[in-house]
Amino acid sequence: MLSIKNLTASVDGKEILRGLDLHVAPGEVHAIMGPNGSGKSTLAHILSGREGYDVTGGEVEYLGQDLLQLETEERAQQGIFLAMQYPVELPGVNNMTFLSESMNAIRKAQGRAEIDTLSFMKLVKQKARQVKLDEKLLKRSVNAGFSGGEKKRNEILQMTMLEPKLAILDETDSGLDIDALRTVADGVNQLRSAERGMIVVTHYQRLLDYIEPDRVHVLAHGRIVRSGGKELALELEARGYGWLLDEVAA
Amino acid sequence: MTFSLSDHLVPLQRNIESLPMQPGDWLIDRRFAALERFERIGFPNRRSEAWRYSRVDGLLKQGFVAPSQRHAADGRALIEPHELQIATAGRAVFIDGQYIDELSDCSAAGVRVTSLKAAMASGDRQVLEAIGSLSGLGDDGFSALNLASFQDGAVIHVEPGVRLDAPLEMLHLTTSRVQGCKLPTRHLVLLERQSRAELIERFVTQDQQSAYFNHQVVEISLAEQAELKHKRIQLESRQAYHLSDLYIALQSKADYRGVTASIGGCWSRTTITNRFIQPDANCELDGLYLVGDGQLTDFHLDVDHQLPNCSSWENFKGILRGSGRAVFDGLIQVGKGAQKSEAHLHNANLMLSRHAEVDTKPQLMILADDVVCSHGTTVGQLDDQALFYLRSRGLNEQQARALLCQGFLAEIVEKFEHQALQALLNRQFNFVTSEVEQ
Repeated sequence: MLSIKNLTASVDGKEILRGLDLHVAPGEVHAIMGPNGSGKSTLAHILSGREGYDVTGGEVEYLGQDLLQLETEERAQQGIFLAMQYPVELPGVNNMTFLSESMNAIRKAQGRAEIDTLSFMKLVKQKARQVKLDEKLLKRSVNAGFSGGEKKRNEILQMTMLEPKLAILDETDSGLDIDALRTVADGVNQLRSAERGMIVVTHYQRLLDYIEPDRVHVLAHGRIVRSGGKELALELEARGYGWLLDEVAA
Repeated sequence: MTFSLSDHLVPLQRNIESLPMQPGDWLIDRRFAALERFERIGFPNRRSEAWRYSRVDGLLKQGFVAPSQRHAADGRALIEPHELQIATAGRAVFIDGQYIDELSDCSAAGVRVTSLKAAMASGDRQVLEAIGSLSGLGDDGFSALNLASFQDGAVIHVEPGVRLDAPLEMLHLTTSRVQGCKLPTRHLVLLERQSRAELIERFVTQDQQSAYFNHQVVEISLAEQAELKHKRIQLESRQAYHLSDLYIALQSKADYRGVTASIGGCWSRTTITNRFIQPDANCELDGLYLVGDGQLTDFHLDVDHQLPNCSSWENFKGILRGSGRAVFDGLIQVGKGAQKSEAHLHNANLMLSRHAEVDTKPQLMILADDVVCSHGTTVGQLDDQALFYLRSRGLNEQQARALLCQGFLAEIVEKFEHQALQALLNRQFNFVTSEVEQ
């Protein structure tokens, strides 16, 4: 469903991605690991259409189209979801209003009927219980004054409500305690299906204890330097990134 | 400038002399005194600090005159499109600046809603003495002229201990018949001790093209432990000039909560003067404004703490588009004797265009030492990260902008409490904020 070929990109003239290749098929969960500054978040942002990145070469194909030609909202409407590392606070914007408007924008774009208020309320309460997000937070402003863990749960809630085709989780584990990590992972695991692809970007191996990836890739200096099965993550946990970087350099 | 003072004075003098009067009539004396004051001070100009950012030449050039013909016949049909889905306890309806008896009523016991003209004609002493008691002869030429020349207005009087559950309403409607006219009105809101009321005031128009000058002076007096919630929505014609002068006086433990939305008009100015005349009172003033091309909105707040234990809260937020202009001039003074005062003054502006302009001046002058006070102002733009976040959830740019603008004003909109009013306001925001500007 997603095919990235030889992608190069820079920020303010500084090259961040230097020929990245990645292929995600429906039903697969890919973990992208790597040291800080390796380009993990840049990749997640480029896929979701964030401004400020210059794609200087390569191509990204998503469901048979040139992804880079699509606006941010068009990508979302066609099933791409980015769970952000730093979810934005939106003071004054009601969490439930935001979620229902978002859901209906996506449904409308897909030619589906809008969800009625009652069904929406039922669904959102059920999903909030699932990700252990306090129902009170549904009535508050989006992420405003939420704790780090609440923000991440809110991201996962959005993801389960919007049912994306391709979910990208950008360091969703950062700043989470073990209980929150487990809840977030449960939410992700419940979404795993034969039609859905997932990219899990993480610095640490521990998230992968709960979300078992099909493939693990190591991103360093803007390209994938090693790919393997889930055992690669364990090896990285045990040995760190240093040996791999040395090997690549050699 | 095509205008000269004498253009106004002669007809005004005749106007005052033609009013029904008795020898020694106190109000007639005041009117002449106000006229004299106007003669002395004239119209304000930019040399005075309070008018520095709001030019009046455009208004004066229009040469607005008193309306010659009275209101259209079928008032009921005119106000029908503006009916609110809110059950009210009583209301005063003005069409083209004239109090309409047939459309005004009040069913609640212990509450009087009546025309000021009728109250004056009947020689109602309480009313006659209250007129001008808070405003004085007028701080500027406009308010002095208002006192000298007003013909009508409303009186709302709530008896001691009467606590209203349903709101009262004041509706000011203009039609195309007031093109070129000035409409000075004057209103009294008197709440006796331990009474409680809510007043919803709206300025609406039948004709978005008509140019007129709506000037109202409102004197609001709250006796001990009286509570008033006052909601105001200004949706005048886009060519209209609107001036509201509110004077509030609070006795011990009185509680005034006012919220104003200023949306219509090409020139709109609201001044709110609050005086704590006894200790332990509370005054809350909130407001929102939207301005676009060819619009100026101006708020002047003057809250004076001279007695202990009073609190005041002021929060005004505005969205500016196109070449819209806004002025915010808020002053809170806390005198030496006003220990244990609490006073907060905030103004925030969201600029959707680089051609928009805001002049904001929140001022806190504190002489007492045992007080809790804060003030601040912000001027900003829509946050790119927030826009991206919303778009990454499938909302297009227009939807995202509208949602963020609504969010920006949400805390003020909340103060309008009634869903019907909030929906009315939110419709205005969607309409004006969805366009993408540079």
